[in-house]
Parts: sequence; structure tokens; C-alpha cells
Amino acid sequence: MVSCRLSLGFALWAMLALLAVSPLSAGEAQRCVTDGTGDELCLHAPAKRIATLSPGATELMFAAGAGDKVVAVVNHSDYPPEALELPLVGNHTRIDLEALLALKPDLVITWVTGNPPAQIEMLQELGLPTFAIEPRTFEGVSRTIELLSRLAGTENQGYAEAERFRKGMAKVSKQYQHAEPIPVFYQVWETPLMTINNEHLIGKVLQLCGGVNVFGDMPRLVPRISAEVVLEADPHAILTGSVEGTADDELDHWKKYPELSAVARNNLFFIPASPISRPTPRLLEASKSICQKLDTARAR
Amino acid sequence: MSRLRTRDLVINVPGRPDGYPLNIEIEPGQTWGVLGPNGAGKTTLLHTLAGLLRPRNGQVLLNEQPLKLMKRREIAQHLGLVFQERQDSFPATVLETALIGRHPWLSPWESEQSEDQARARSALAMLDVDHLSDRLLNTLSGGERQRVAIATLMTQDPSVWLLDEPTNHLDLHHQVSVMNLLRDQATAGKAVFMCLHDLNLAARWCSHVLLLYTNGDACWGAVDAMLEPTALEQLYNQRLITVEADGAPVFIPVR
Amino acid sequence: MIRSLLGLGIAALAAILLALAMGSVTIPPLGLLEAVQGDGTSLHRTLLWDLRMPRTLSAFATGGLLAVAGALMQILLRNPLADPYVLGLSGGAAVGALLAMLTGLGTLLVSGSAFAGAMLATVLVFGLAHGTGSWTPSRLLLTGVVVAAGWGAVITLMLAITPSHKLPGMLYWLMGDVSYARTPWPPLIILGLSVLFILPLARNLNVLARGPMQAAALGVSVRPLEWTIYVLASLLTATAVTTAGSVGFVGLIVPHMLRLVLGNDQRIILPACALAGGTLLVLADTLARTVIAPEQLPVGVITALLGVPTFLFLLHRSR
Repeated sequence: MVSCRLSLGFALWAMLALLAVSPLSAGEAQRCVTDGTGDELCLHAPAKRIATLSPGATELMFAAGAGDKVVAVVNHSDYPPEALELPLVGNHTRIDLEALLALKPDLVITWVTGNPPAQIEMLQELGLPTFAIEPRTFEGVSRTIELLSRLAGTENQGYAEAERFRKGMAKVSKQYQHAEPIPVFYQVWETPLMTINNEHLIGKVLQLCGGVNVFGDMPRLVPRISAEVVLEADPHAILTGSVEGTADDELDHWKKYPELSAVARNNLFFIPASPISRPTPRLLEASKSICQKLDTARAR
Repeated sequence: MSRLRTRDLVINVPGRPDGYPLNIEIEPGQTWGVLGPNGAGKTTLLHTLAGLLRPRNGQVLLNEQPLKLMKRREIAQHLGLVFQERQDSFPATVLETALIGRHPWLSPWESEQSEDQARARSALAMLDVDHLSDRLLNTLSGGERQRVAIATLMTQDPSVWLLDEPTNHLDLHHQVSVMNLLRDQATAGKAVFMCLHDLNLAARWCSHVLLLYTNGDACWGAVDAMLEPTALEQLYNQRLITVEADGAPVFIPVR
Repeated sequence: MIRSLLGLGIAALAAILLALAMGSVTIPPLGLLEAVQGDGTSLHRTLLWDLRMPRTLSAFATGGLLAVAGALMQILLRNPLADPYVLGLSGGAAVGALLAMLTGLGTLLVSGSAFAGAMLATVLVFGLAHGTGSWTPSRLLLTGVVVAAGWGAVITLMLAITPSHKLPGMLYWLMGDVSYARTPWPPLIILGLSVLFILPLARNLNVLARGPMQAAALGVSVRPLEWTIYVLASLLTATAVTTAGSVGFVGLIVPHMLRLVLGNDQRIILPACALAGGTLLVLADTLARTVIAPEQLPVGVITALLGVPTFLFLLHRSR
């Protein structure tokens, strides 16, 4: 056994403040970290062969400076471009366990709500060290990068990148802290019409830029809503993610309502979907882009 | 008044040789009984005469016009059929069922008028099922349903009546009254043609008989000439005892 | 009988008015009245005329189409448990729609693709059941059920390989959701024309319900009539599915419920189906829009939740 797992029971994975170096860490021999589900993982030596079971995890691993140690990724792991060259072990919802085992990983980074629990349990029963992540805050992104770099033994690069992101976000936050509030609607999906609340990372970016998410208080993370309430809320800007290689027509349906402020002021914006939808350092660039759009919207 | 005629008709019973082609003429006023063992093709013949099945050879002529050249609606105004088996997947009342008989007489946009209702009600009364008018068909006994089916044919009022085992499920009293009714209809100018499994009913009520053999052979003619015990014994492959009662022969199978 | 149709018509109007009055946003009665007259705030006018009216009419048309199609299928297959989807039409439509969603085509193309899928399914079952030239309702039913199972497998396959961010749209479509409806006019016009077209044939259908032989003996040209029903029911179902995805239960329970109450005269049942099916879906969609407003539910969930107990109650009472 090169590793041991000490289950600390089920803590709320959302409580990322708990993500911290464990007090149980015993000297240089072991590196112990607590993951997003509250489980502690201790490695005797830095991981050398890492499998990342979500596109975001792949991206974070590269950000932590351990991209060269990633040996297995899942579909849609398209950033950084090097990730496209890595062996695939299926979809994040259905992992090809045989292919994964054949690649002999010594650490598997899982996605708290995205991977099927039964498959992850099977990996654990087979003795593979797993580490579950799902950052829900900007600080959580930085902390996750730091933790991953500890597991991979690339603390220098990892901590530097985490700090770069932290400072970058702080700078944006400072820049926009007195920005004039502007009501914003973020459209996740056209049919059915879906949006995000303030708990969602996208919601947090909107707030960072001085945007007021008109559905920020909805109880569900990704609520499905009616067009009626959007018209009633009358946002001044409407944003949506734009997937590369597809026509940007997902906001056209709003143009039927010229009295909608966002339409009247021509404030229908597309932002690249992939950076905004993954909890990775690219959120910094996405945040800047959203903040700029909102600036444009304020000016109109 | 209509007449039904076949010209060298060979019914299509799969896997059977052609046998003897039928050249029968069913005239107004006649009551025909078709006799034959199981599988001889009685029902197939009836359906072929109604134009529901294609014959292997020959033609069926309704008033000298080939049946296959006529529209179904036109045929249904002259010729009606009571089936041995009936489908009732959907609930329907007795009166609705009888009224169905008016279908060939109504144009698409027309609905049943009080005259049609009166016809249906009197037909139901003739068959002694008028007290069941509002009952659902699937709540009736087999015999009651059989009488409703005949009442439907009566409501349709064609001049050629084809019936497949009309006395099935009927008790003795209703067997007699149905056979009397059919004979009265013939007397009034209808041409009646029915399959029967009871020799004695044919002997007492039919004016003509058609014997249908399993191998496709057939012979037909006036009832007196046809009910030869030897021919019948050969037909059913069953020895018979013949007695006479009430002026008609009665055939009893030998044990 | 005319009175029951009149009653259903009034119920339909009442349901439509209710649907127009209710939504995620509360419009006071006075605001509604003003909006109807073209006055009032522009928000109220937009909500009423641009959102609720087209959606309500789409729901009405979809419900009516499905119920009439269900009634026709039941007669065609001589099976009171048949529904518009029993021959795999919704499966073909779903495969078409999901394919369009998977490849990221716009909503208009999703509708077109769904319609094409439904027509493909129709022709496929038609061709396979026709086969050697003789078909019976049971042969048609069997072919349809097996082809439907095939579509089901393709749908599962597509869901399995779809990236997760596209799944919600697909699942809502599969559950049936009027929010996909664009304009109510094509389905409404098709519904109206179909009912007008089928009414003169309705007595023929009554006769056909007694079996093809009996129908032929009573002067019905069975084969042409059966093909007419099949093509018409397919067209109606395809239109409904294209408008709002595969909304379940309406096509099965509405004709069945009406038969329990009104008897089995298609001259009454078919127009009654158009009215009652439309009313049911309008009410169900109103619930779907408001029950957890501003969040929205797919209407198919509501029709199933409402339809099953109502149906069981009527069935129980009719004994």
C-alpha cells in the first residue's frame, strides 16, 4: 500500500473553507489533504500518474503545474490544448474503468457531483487513491489548485498559479466594487429557458462585475424559468455562453420584445462558454470579459 | 327485390382442389340452407357471396351485375350478412347496434332520423329484444346477441339475406321463431341463404338446400330432392335414422 | 349530445381564459382587461399577447390533436388501449428532435427534424406492416410496437452519448413541453381541418369499430378507410409532437374517458376529443407554468399526474 484513506465521514462538500492541510499530516513522509467530500487522502510520495475525471479537473491539474503527470482524461477535456492528446477513459458520467485501470494511475481526481458514485466506489475498492473536487468559489479554485499541486509534488508552480488567480480576481473585484449595479439575466439554455442563481460561479462572476442577477435568489442552482418573469424583471443586459463552432442565435428570441430594456439598448451579449462554465483559472479571463460587456451595457 | 347468382364459382379454401364449380341462383321467395361438415367452407362461401372474399374462380352476380364491380355501399343496400363471430372491442348499446344497419342508406352528412329509429325498434321487437334496447351489448347472453345481430340485418333491410348459423346460441323457442321469421321474410320477397348445422332445421324451413363436401364437391336443389339419407350420411360421414314427424323428415344420428 | 359538445366548448373557453389570466407574473384583473383592449402597460400586453396567448393556443391545439389521433388509432386497431404513440410515431419524432439538438441545430430545425422523424416512422411501420400485402390490426400493432421499441433504444443510445449540458433540453422535450411551441397556427389549423374532414367519415368509423368484415358488409370500403385513418392519425400526432414534444397520456385517456361518459359514437367523440383534449392540456400547462413559479415544469408530467387518477376513478365508477 502506497496510500491510506481515512474517512472523516460526510461533510458538506460545498464547505470549501474546510479544504485545508490536515492536522494529521505526519512529517515529510506523507502528504495528507482533505477533499471536497471531507475525506482525507494521504500519499507517501507525490503522484506520478494522475487520471482526471472531468474537463475541469484536467484543466486544474495543468494549472497546478502537473499537466505532464496526467495520464488519463475524459471527453471534452479540451483545455489546455495538450489535454486533447491524452488517452480518453470515457465520459465523465460513464467511465471506462478497464481503460482507466490499464493506464495504472496512482491518483484519480474525481468530480463530486459529476461522476457516478458507484464507479468511484469501485475505484476505491480496487485500492486506487481518489480525490474529489468541485470548487464553488473563486477562493475554492485557488485552494484546489494548491491541494492538487501538493498531491503532485508541484507546489511551486501550483501555489504561484493559485496566487496569480487570487490576485487577479481581487483586482477585478476591487476595480468593480463601486460599479453602478445593473440588472442582468444570464441564459444558460434557450429551450427550456434556464438560468443560474447567485450561488453558481457564473452568478458570483456577475456580482463581481457589479451585475445584479435578476434570478440570484432562486433556490435552485440552475432553475428553469418562464419568459414571463424575465420580461417582468426587465434586465438591462442578457448574457449567454457561446460554444465555438456554433451559430450565436440563442438570444435572437428576445428580439421579439423591443420593449425589453436589454433589447432596446442592444445589450445581448455572447461570452465564450468553456471558460465561464468551468471552475478553473480561466474564470479570470471570463470575468474580465463579462465585466467589459457589463461596462458596455452601462454605457448604452 | 334482388337475386344472387353464381357463375362457375369456386371458393378459395387454401390447400383444397377446386371441386365442383357452383352455379346457383338464389331467387326472391327462396330460403336456402347450406349443409356440410366442419371445414367444408360454408362460412367461406357465405363471405364470398357477400363479396368479402375473392373467389378462386368464377363470379358472383347481384342482379346480373358482377359483385366485384360494385361499390360496397351499393352492395350493402341489396345484400346483408349476419356473421357467426362478432367483434365488440368498444361498448355499444343494443339500439345503437341495430341502428348501424341503416348505415348503407345514409349519406355522410346525414344522421339517423326518427324513421330509422322506428325501423330499428320494430326489428328489435320482432326478435324479442326490444326490452334490452339500452343495455350494453357485452352484457347480453350469446342468444340475445345473436338476435340483436339478426335485428341489425332486419334494420338494414336488404333483399338478399345471408346468415351464418343464425340459430347458434338460441334456445328452442327462439330457434323456431327466428326460422319462422326468416321464412316469412322470404315469403315477403327476400332471398334468404343461410348456413345451418342442424339438418332438421333445414328440412323443416328451407325451400332449397346446398350440400357442401369437404373435398369441394357440392350439390344443390329443392329441399325434397336433396335430403336423401345416403347423400347426407356421406356428407357428414355419419349413419342416420330417418323418421317423419309433422310432415317433414327428421334425421337422427345413429349411436 | 349536442349539449355535451356545447358544454365542452364552454369548458374549453373557460380553461383558455384561466390560462391567460395565470402565469409566473401576476396580472391584476384590471390589468388583464386593459391588456385585452390593447391598453395597459406594455409588459402586460406582451405577457398576454406574445407569451400566454400563443402558448395557450399551442397547448390547446396539441391536446386536441393528440386526443383525436388517439381516438382514431383506437378505432383503427380496434383496441381501446391504443394511443397515438403506440405505433412508434413519437419515437421517430424524438429521434429526429434529439438528433437536431445533439448536432446543435436551432429550435426551428428541431421541429422540422421531429416532423421528418415522425413521418419516417409512419412510412416505416406502413411499409413493414404492409409487407406481403395483407395486414391486420394485430400485424400493424405488432410492427408498431417493435419499431417503437427500436426507436426507444436509439433514444437511449443518443441520451447516453450526449454531453451533459445538452441533456436538460432533451429530457424536457421527451417529457413533453409546450415551451417548445413557436406559433399556434399550424397545429390549430390542422386540428380544425382534420375534424371537419373526419366528421363525414365518423359514422363509417362507428361501423368499423365493429370489425372490418361487419363494416364491409354494411357498405364501408374498409381498406381505403383504414389507410385514411392511419395517415390522418399520423399527421395529427406528428403535428402535435412537433409542437410540444411527446406529451403523454392525453391521447389515451381523453378518448377513453369520453367514451365512458358519452358512448362510442364517433360523430360526438371526435369533436369532443378535440375540445376536451385541448382543455386538458391547457389546464395542465397552466399548472405546469404556475405550480412552482417562476420555475417551470414540463406539461407531460402534469398530464400524467392528473390523467392517471382521473382515469382510474372513471373506470372504477363505470362498473
